[in-house]
Amino acid sequence: MSENVKVVENATCTFCGCVCDDMILTVDMDEKRITKSKNACILGKAWFAEHYIEEDAPVAMIDNRPVSMEEAVEEAARTLVNARFPITYGLSDTTCEAQRQAVAITDTIRGNIDTTTSVCHGPSGIALQGVGESTMTLGEVKNRADLVIYWGGNPAESHPRHFGRYAVTAKGMFTPRGKKDRHVVLVDVRRTPSAPAASQFIQVKPGKDFEVLWALRALVKNRRIDPDIEEETGVSLETMEELVERMKNCRYGVLFFGMGLTMTRGRHFNSGALLALATDLNEYTHFVAKPVRGHGNVTGADNVMSWQTGYPFGVNFSRGFPRFNPGEFTTVDLLAKRDVDAALIVATDPASNFPQAAIDHLANIPVVCLDTKATLTSKLAHVAFRTSTYGINTAGTVYRMDDVPITLRKAFDSPFPNDEEILTAIRKRVRELVLARGQARGATGVSRAAAPLQ
Amino acid sequence: MPLLLRQIAAPDVPMEADNITPDRLTGQGAADVERLALMHGSESRSIGDFFSATGSYDGIIDLQGDDLKRVKFIGAGMSRGTIRVEGDVGEHLGAGMGGGEILVNGNATDWVGPEMSGGRIEIHGNAGHLTGSAYRGASVGMTGGEIMVHGNVRNETGNAMRGGLIAIGGNSGDFTGVNMLSGSIFVLGELGIRTGAGMKRGSIISMKDAPLLPTFSYSCTYRPGYMTLYLLHLSRVFAIAEEYLQGSYKRYCGDSVELNRGEILLYAG
Repeated sequence: MSENVKVVENATCTFCGCVCDDMILTVDMDEKRITKSKNACILGKAWFAEHYIEEDAPVAMIDNRPVSMEEAVEEAARTLVNARFPITYGLSDTTCEAQRQAVAITDTIRGNIDTTTSVCHGPSGIALQGVGESTMTLGEVKNRADLVIYWGGNPAESHPRHFGRYAVTAKGMFTPRGKKDRHVVLVDVRRTPSAPAASQFIQVKPGKDFEVLWALRALVKNRRIDPDIEEETGVSLETMEELVERMKNCRYGVLFFGMGLTMTRGRHFNSGALLALATDLNEYTHFVAKPVRGHGNVTGADNVMSWQTGYPFGVNFSRGFPRFNPGEFTTVDLLAKRDVDAALIVATDPASNFPQAAIDHLANIPVVCLDTKATLTSKLAHVAFRTSTYGINTAGTVYRMDDVPITLRKAFDSPFPNDEEILTAIRKRVRELVLARGQARGATGVSRAAAPLQ
Repeated sequence: MPLLLRQIAAPDVPMEADNITPDRLTGQGAADVERLALMHGSESRSIGDFFSATGSYDGIIDLQGDDLKRVKFIGAGMSRGTIRVEGDVGEHLGAGMGGGEILVNGNATDWVGPEMSGGRIEIHGNAGHLTGSAYRGASVGMTGGEIMVHGNVRNETGNAMRGGLIAIGGNSGDFTGVNMLSGSIFVLGELGIRTGAGMKRGSIISMKDAPLLPTFSYSCTYRPGYMTLYLLHLSRVFAIAEEYLQGSYKRYCGDSVELNRGEILLYAG
């Protein structure tokens, strides 16, 4: 380790949706590495320790051939403008400033924009629209919540500081003794490492969450439920009645839910049932619900998409105005149906985690990819940009899982441009090309021409 | 003589053909029809780029092609006339239609007759998710008319339906009649799980036994008077066994988390 060391206080970890902003990073400025990350959890420590910059990697490539930044921006813009059904996808691991540019590009090229929300809490987005959301910030949970229920998630392994910083052992204004002032319930299909942190574990048979939530709703409304519910769901009527009493009589209750609900049979109806349960309980006490989000700025992606287009994900601009229809305009569905003829992929690697039919189509169309490292997607991309990492080499804004915006402080510089700079350059060029095409047809503003650009 | 639209080119990307309705084609000659616009992805093209038109519209449009799966919004918003389709069709068939008839000799996919208020759709093959449903964010789905599907359908059939009739010859997926407000859904085959979740009123009828949610309770076994009338109406399209006409039905009421005024009737023999 060299003598040239810099300490960055109040840095932010953008690994998961907790977006902890109390990191103290020690940076070896000669090696360009983070050697110590105080306050980080095991995931955050790995996020910082494994961060390194491949300084000799090309900033941009066309068909895996190194090119200049200008050349790559030109090719990316032409690829997108020439497409009839281009998609933009990813966006959950970049700043809100970059997300704005991606929305603007998609609007100009009349494409389809979707984020990784559609493969994690997208069903919750549908449910929020249908049922509504009784919501809060995590600060309120820390200070007030005396009943905390985790449903279909395993925060001990996915969000390790969620317990300590906000919801279980955190000491707050009305919860001065931390865990002793709270009753914590974990509901899941198997006993996970989160179970020891909970006061009570309720095991539901796989695929029966909706039935249990629906029965709880009925009990909250004083409707009769048959005792044979235990045979179907694995949860006895007595346990449910006791939980309902606890929920009705708490001072401030919170339901956190994870992908155990959103990505199992029933999907948005599972999330919807839980949100409706929280709403029902407000007849008796204050009760809130919140999805526990994964990626560092996936909540920001939902927020930026919502305030720019009116909808959180799965938005299509083909007709010049935004339309929302999950199932039709969500990326996996579009790729699997081979409906797409170009793709702009920002800060995600669908070629490594999508269904095979979707990956096969991605390999057959021109892809423009922005990522901090070489990925399977960047390898199959027509145009690939190398970018700097948000939160470590790039400042900006991200949203924590409770929709609280947090400003990032960068630890040290990267030789690579950030997503916002590249997307801004592409947006400007895309706009010029679309305007030129419109003017060639006699139009005065941004307009469409039938023939593809030469 | 009907207007024949025969597909001459396959779309590369999804196509939105909401001009293919009797309302837009009335009084138009074949050449005029070919000049009408449709959306091919984000570009505006004309019907003639993808279809050859012959004849003239006399109340019937014949649509034929090998690759109509990407053609969306056929018959959207139509109020009269008939569309006959040979081949599999794309999403949003008959979206928001108020009258007229669509006959498909092939399969349909998701969103058949969403938010329709009248008219008739008959699919000889299968249909997808959200048949006769509300669009996301809307509180009311189909309000009138009828949808008949000879094959199977997938999830959320009749989501937030408020009137009309949906009849499925085969099986349905999960959440049939979810958030239903009124209307009737017949499934001659098997129902999926979580039928009628959140329903306020309306009737869901199946000829097979089905798993029901804990918020539905058994009322009685009886012979509803209207069943014979409905089944005789359906027998014009489907093969209805004699015992269904004469049989008894188990009645379950729900959903108790809502008004508890909906009913699920299961054939009891």
